[in-house]
Amino acid sequence: MLLPWEYGVRNLARRPIHSGLTLFALTTVTLLIFVVVGFIRGLERSLAVSGDPNVMLVYSLTSEENIENSSISAQIPDLLAASLSATVKHFGITHHSPELYLGSRVTTADQSPGLGLVRGVTPTAPLVRRTVRMTEGTWPQPGEVMVGRLAATKLGVPTEVLKIGNQIEMEGQAWQISGTFAAEGASFESEIWCDLSDLQTATKRQDLSLVAMLLKDRTASSEVDLFCMERKDLELRAVRESEYYQTLQQHYRPVRILGWLIVGLVATAGIFAGLNLMYGALAGRIRELAMLQVLGYKRVAILVSVVQEGLVLASAASLIAGTFAVCWINGLTVRFTMGAFALRIDSLAILSGCAVGLLLGILGALPPALKALHASVAINLKAV
Amino acid sequence: MRISFSTTLMVCLTFVTLGCNDDQASVSLPESAKPLAVDATPYLVTTEPADTTPVGEARESLMDGESATLIGTIGGSSKPFIEGLAAFTIVDQKIPCCAAEEGCPTPWDYCCTQDQVKDNIATIKIVDESGSPVTADARQLFGISELSQVIVSGTAKRDDQGNLTLAASTIYVKP
Repeated sequence: MLLPWEYGVRNLARRPIHSGLTLFALTTVTLLIFVVVGFIRGLERSLAVSGDPNVMLVYSLTSEENIENSSISAQIPDLLAASLSATVKHFGITHHSPELYLGSRVTTADQSPGLGLVRGVTPTAPLVRRTVRMTEGTWPQPGEVMVGRLAATKLGVPTEVLKIGNQIEMEGQAWQISGTFAAEGASFESEIWCDLSDLQTATKRQDLSLVAMLLKDRTASSEVDLFCMERKDLELRAVRESEYYQTLQQHYRPVRILGWLIVGLVATAGIFAGLNLMYGALAGRIRELAMLQVLGYKRVAILVSVVQEGLVLASAASLIAGTFAVCWINGLTVRFTMGAFALRIDSLAILSGCAVGLLLGILGALPPALKALHASVAINLKAV
Repeated sequence: MRISFSTTLMVCLTFVTLGCNDDQASVSLPESAKPLAVDATPYLVTTEPADTTPVGEARESLMDGESATLIGTIGGSSKPFIEGLAAFTIVDQKIPCCAAEEGCPTPWDYCCTQDQVKDNIATIKIVDESGSPVTADARQLFGISELSQVIVSGTAKRDDQGNLTLAASTIYVKP
């Protein structure tokens, strides 16, 4: 026969300070798990949504896998358009986007300098970068830029500093912010976009970093590959955008592994903290537990009741931490080497956080309860 | 009754939580693993052609539109094959690839002799009767792989920059 459910719940209310402290400790640990898993999931999502499988990136063979280091001739887009039939073409406009992409020191209106990611584009860019949506303002004209939703985070400045009409300084020139854009969580959101020829003039460069091409279908990439293979003199490489970001995922694998390691460490520390608290709690209840045995309750029934107490506290902690994470942590933006991304409390994060929270409740209660029930009833009844 | 209801609810919630995950596992097969719709017989020859020209020599003497039979080793970059097309690059046999004892995981990229590859490489595309590249992975179609030695016959295409492409109609794979 099990102890009544209410017995365990009422026991928690008998020691409000102790229960409150345990609840606080469990909530903190579970919240930490949510933050770390949210970080990993945010990073993964940012890279996953950045790659369009129908977009092919053509850039320099010598730049390895870093587009920022790429330099190709400004004639390449025209050459590609003339040589390939694989690119989408509507109303006489080829859907390709010649781009100059670089990291540059950006000084904002509040005079705080930061390293920004700048992309010089032409008006055909939205035809290829299909996730990009202007959220406010207008497309940048000469001397103007438009900023991504997470550009302020990347620069480490408040969002208000990058309001439309404000000025920023980069490459020795002042630029006015004409608009803002979003890109469904893709890495473009941490970038600053401006007119390609404007950026080329400001940086005194005539080359390009890459050409992004929207292909008719996924099999059309072979044609682009063949072109790059045949034109050895151009030293080009073609990579599907989704594959490019998958490669970046591989680069960030150690970070993700480290993240999961932190989850494990925090969970382990939490379990030890829980064990410590439960040992303290049960040390003063040895006679009570012995009395329950005298009344006829089996050790298993008492054990289940003690675990139930831990579980109730852990469930409450998981709910509090989960609610806090979903309401206040989900969507928080963080700066990272490749730009910025939003923490993401998705189903996996909730599952991981709650699972660890509940595990803390069970594993924290089991050993002290087993220890308390191990000694004989007679000895326990005389315990001080 | 209350317990069974709670259990059912928990199981349902677990499945709903797992089901809400928006990560869609990709089930598409790589190009090389898809079944072939092209017959290799018209392109594959079983007797070794005579009068072959090494790639390096061909790059010096071959003119645009000229017929040629080239011999070479598949390689020249870490990915010498094009997925979805019967096309690849070959390197002159006189250029040594990375020795096995150097521990190079991709000896076919000739990373140890890259400066010599530039003047000894040719692009091969196996073409059909209409002159279009055969739309099948060459590895699967002809049973070849990186560092396979092949002899290909076809028509050369040269440009002002010195690039050499052979639109090949037949291929012989050296055993």
